[in-house]
Amino acid sequence: MASIETGGSGSGKKAVNQEIPLIPFIDLLLCCVMFLLATAVWNQLAAMNANQQVPGQASTEDAPPEDEKVKLILQVRNSGYVLGSSAGESIDIKKRVVADQREFDVDELEAKLAQWKQAWDKREDLIVAPEDGVRYEDVIVAMDVASAAGFKALSMADGAAFL
Amino acid sequence: MAIKRPQPELLHHIPLRFVRNRVAGHGRKAVDHQIPLIPFIDFLIVLVIFLLMSFSASGELIAQQPTITMPAASNTEQIEISPVVAVDERVITLDGSRVADTQTLGATAQVDRIEPLIQGLEAEKRKWETIHPSEPFAGQVIVQADRNIDFRVVKKVMFSAAAAGYGNVSFAVNQREK
Repeated sequence: MASIETGGSGSGKKAVNQEIPLIPFIDLLLCCVMFLLATAVWNQLAAMNANQQVPGQASTEDAPPEDEKVKLILQVRNSGYVLGSSAGESIDIKKRVVADQREFDVDELEAKLAQWKQAWDKREDLIVAPEDGVRYEDVIVAMDVASAAGFKALSMADGAAFL
Repeated sequence: MAIKRPQPELLHHIPLRFVRNRVAGHGRKAVDHQIPLIPFIDFLIVLVIFLLMSFSASGELIAQQPTITMPAASNTEQIEISPVVAVDERVITLDGSRVADTQTLGATAQVDRIEPLIQGLEAEKRKWETIHPSEPFAGQVIVQADRNIDFRVVKKVMFSAAAAGYGNVSFAVNQREK
């Protein structure tokens, strides 16, 4: 056991020698270790939230301002991304060829979404519309890029509705 | 205040010279051993700090399934307690109970209702409304799908969830550092 001694015997005064109780301290640390081991979360899981565009669903909020009536849409197609709006804009981002494989051009999407965010700086809503046949991971990547660009309020819709 | 240097204490109270000599060594290997408590405490403190860093107060709400490899994303939110629909390459399960086959759903293009899933989610919704009568229903469902699944299957799951009143979908992902 660790102790602190002054060398004097006290001689009528209060003894200043102190014992540091290391064993209870070790017991406490061991209890902490066991508790933390039992409750430890090794998988860092998280979620990406999206609302669904349900047809015919009435809006519970007041009518949006004029510029918010324009819907911003990110289509994830088998041929690539298409950024569009209900105002008629359309930006096609084709897949690129990397090592004889056609892959989604995520860098180009990042750049275009950043430009879009500047043009629609007050908007945070974006409809993600994946097409049938697209891998689930590619949709999540598109949503992640859109969220990073500032479009936090993501909605999901059927890609076939925008073809 | 002076701090006394730690010294061997074992068997020192026995008033026999040969015992004291043997304990102190005197040419032989000493039998008095000190347990190094301070490095042990240092080790425990480091271990506690490491475990505290991986501690989550909300616990593990969904488990990583061996048949599902989830995609990774960096701009994520925390998972909240909701029914979990797991989609792997073979089956679709709701909180562990099988509700449909992935291959069957992926074969057709039309948006089918998954009736067992709708019934299961409606039962969950009724249970939630019974437990929380004064709170509005959030309608949130967690979709935990394999990264290589055709989105057509996930779309059918989402359509069925919306039909059961679950309009907010949380896609479970592995957290990636930003």
